Amino acid sequence: MNFRLFDGLRRDASAVEVDHIEAFAQGRIGRRDFLTRGTVLGLSVPFMSAVIAACGSSDSGSTSPVTTIGGPATTGGPATTGAPAAGTVKPGGVLKVANQKPSGPVDPVAMDNLGAYTVASIPLEYLCGPGDGAALAPMLAESWKPNTDGSVWTFSLRKGVKWHDGTPFTSADVVATLDRLADAGLKASIAKGASKAVDATTVEVTLLAADGNFPYQVSNWNPQSLITPVAFVAGTTIDAMPTGTGPFKLTKYDAATGATFARNDDWWGGKPNLDGVELIFSDSPETQIQGLLGDAVHAMVQFPVIGGEAVFAQADKYVVEGIRGASHRQIWMNSREGNFADKRTRQAIALGLDREAIIKNVLRGKGDLGNDHPIAPVYDFWDKSQPQRTRDVEKAKQLLKDTGKEGLALTMNVVDLQEISKTAELIKSQLAEIGMNVTLNVESTDTVYSKWCAVYDSKTEPAGCDGGEEFGIVDYGNRATPDVYLTKAYATGEWNSAHFINADFNTAVDAYKAGLDTSSRATAIKKIQEIATEEVPYAIPYFVNSLTAYSNKVTGIKQTGLGHYYLGTAGFVA
Amino acid sequence: MRRFLLGRLASSLVTLLLVATFVFVIVNVLPGNPGRQLLGPLAPESEVVKLNDKLGVNRPLVEQYGSSMKDLVTFDFGTSFRSGKSVVATVRPALFRSVKLASLALIITIPLGIWAGVFAARRQDKFADRAVVMAGLTTSSIPDFVTAVVLSSLFCVTWKFGHVFATPPDGSSISKQFSYLIFPALAMVVLYFGYIARMTRAGVINALQSDYVRTATMKGLSDRRVMVNHVLRNALAPTITVISTQIGYLLGAIIGVERVFNYQGIGLTITDAVKAKDIPMLQGTVVLVALVYVAAALLADLLIAYLNPRVRLGGGG
Repeated sequence: MNFRLFDGLRRDASAVEVDHIEAFAQGRIGRRDFLTRGTVLGLSVPFMSAVIAACGSSDSGSTSPVTTIGGPATTGGPATTGAPAAGTVKPGGVLKVANQKPSGPVDPVAMDNLGAYTVASIPLEYLCGPGDGAALAPMLAESWKPNTDGSVWTFSLRKGVKWHDGTPFTSADVVATLDRLADAGLKASIAKGASKAVDATTVEVTLLAADGNFPYQVSNWNPQSLITPVAFVAGTTIDAMPTGTGPFKLTKYDAATGATFARNDDWWGGKPNLDGVELIFSDSPETQIQGLLGDAVHAMVQFPVIGGEAVFAQADKYVVEGIRGASHRQIWMNSREGNFADKRTRQAIALGLDREAIIKNVLRGKGDLGNDHPIAPVYDFWDKSQPQRTRDVEKAKQLLKDTGKEGLALTMNVVDLQEISKTAELIKSQLAEIGMNVTLNVESTDTVYSKWCAVYDSKTEPAGCDGGEEFGIVDYGNRATPDVYLTKAYATGEWNSAHFINADFNTAVDAYKAGLDTSSRATAIKKIQEIATEEVPYAIPYFVNSLTAYSNKVTGIKQTGLGHYYLGTAGFVA
Repeated sequence: MRRFLLGRLASSLVTLLLVATFVFVIVNVLPGNPGRQLLGPLAPESEVVKLNDKLGVNRPLVEQYGSSMKDLVTFDFGTSFRSGKSVVATVRPALFRSVKLASLALIITIPLGIWAGVFAARRQDKFADRAVVMAGLTTSSIPDFVTAVVLSSLFCVTWKFGHVFATPPDGSSISKQFSYLIFPALAMVVLYFGYIARMTRAGVINALQSDYVRTATMKGLSDRRVMVNHVLRNALAPTITVISTQIGYLLGAIIGVERVFNYQGIGLTITDAVKAKDIPMLQGTVVLVALVYVAAALLADLLIAYLNPRVRLGGGG
């Protein structure tokens, strides 16, 4: 270890940064976690490389988790099948992409579906962008730094950035955006007026409570946190006010057929290779797959395994990227009242699931086992020592008998999206074996979410969205951290369709959020996993890989598994 | 003729009124909350109530019915819950797309079906007749979406002869649009060719056995004149009726074909509206399709009356 260099690096670091550096130096966290977590704390890659070198590692430069959004494309991260494009990128061409039809107006602040995320995140950008895996990369913010306890974060903005109409992007735009989000997607984190413009390119954000993961909340992992101009008013759709700072400008939006974008020559990341992008909407995965196979599109943002066999089979023509992440399905059960008020009934459902069979038959193996909590195995702090819940038909039957729910007949509300309706059919047959009679009500993304979660009314209970149905299955997209799942689905109730209220759980979530180092978060996560699995407000049978596919004539596409399709460095191979 | 025309117009308006009333009843029977639909499941109830007041959906049903009828006359169906845009602005391009596709399908189907029907009728009970009848029966019994999948998979995906997605780029030339639309159009041609051919065949056989055709032949008229002036003029009435009903169907009910070829016509627009419980869009599109049905039926009646004086003069027979 190079103590002289190490001390020098420590000397200039803040208290939070010192904790993180020492956790690595003392071997409490690995190099990957050091780098990933370092990007969240705003440490630069050269600084982290120097720390690794000081600690005696020889290949510090080869493990950067940061994938730049501008500049040359990088590879890595997702598992890829097929032959990636080789050769140089030729400028020009319009990339045609099949995309799920947005299920409502594309309002960046209120949008709630993957189709809309794709459309909005092409012209608009976040403060922090995706790095490799769970790491963050600079986007509109060049760097960021917390105070000692993580309750105040300072973002240094990229200089020289312009909106698509040529006006300069400044800290005032960020402050206005965060104020709008204080009434919407960030209301659990910040209050209106909590963000201050220190100067034209510096913003200071004071949080309601310390949060060591706050940069994730202003990144692509919180899709509604797209930065919009001062003049933007919440409720405005992107076609009503087409603007942005991203590599492509919105030129046409038709809710029925698609959207077109033209190259933004003034993009801060450099002139994009492509002349433009065309999103072609379709609600049918089968139609999208036919489109790719028939050369009507060059790429499709997401697709299910079932039906996509032809794409997998042609590895010489198509690249398939599968992000192994935290995307999962929650089988919600109203734990407050009705059939599932007794946790033994909920446990019976969980014990009735044959998770391996679902992964094998519906996902064709492209997923991880779920254990009825939203902590995915890809998270560094996942507690793998927790026993995996396995199918036990007799025990499930006994629990139903004990609670007087033998022969329970129920309607399961199902979102008609990707593989979910097929999963629901299998679950129906599996639950029939424990004596339950499940009727499926499969609805489109346009209407099913009102069955899942309706009207959060803080007057009637501290947590829970009143009005939703008692039983169903809903989708959750990939996130770099479980914060959104934990705070919205379990703790504060905005998406708490199970009406789950548990003081110990909430305490553990608070401890997790406040934790600035891996070990303190791991302790909290262990508790979270235990409570969620025991109480089962949601049965979570699996985590599903997010699949995207594109022609091998294209290169440079970066996806997040949450609908984002970053195309600033994409292009056709010469 | 004027009396005939006025009578048909009046019955068309009554039909439209009944359809609009039926749609109004149906959409008010369906469970749903427009304000909630527009603002999303998590919006505060107070905001939902405010929006419903603004939309007028909290008013008494009779009052809403009155507004609905007024909207029908003024062609203002309000704002789509799904897109947030005017219904008319959304339906117009979808209708235009459907008209283009249906027109191409009809341009191919009508002459082909009539020719095949006449061809078969003139060879009644011979091999050619049986072949046409069997072909017509077979093709009209295959659902259009099955034909669409086969055409798309073979011609567009495997052999790359056509476009998997049938929507042509903006500003495409007529020939380019034709190349995009030909395969979905063919899926409809396969289905409707049989109907028209069999109907024409039956009419022509009936006319060929009539006294007036025998008289015309004995007068020494050429076969062609007998066929055009006497046979077809009388034999085509049922065919025209079939075609007129198919026009409405081609515009609004080819959902399977539109889905396979990702063609956002009226059929897919109606499906989306049903799935999203987008009531204004549903009302607008259904009434529009009904209008097309009624207009096509009226046109068919006028054409039949033109071809057959007994109809326009109110004679029997």
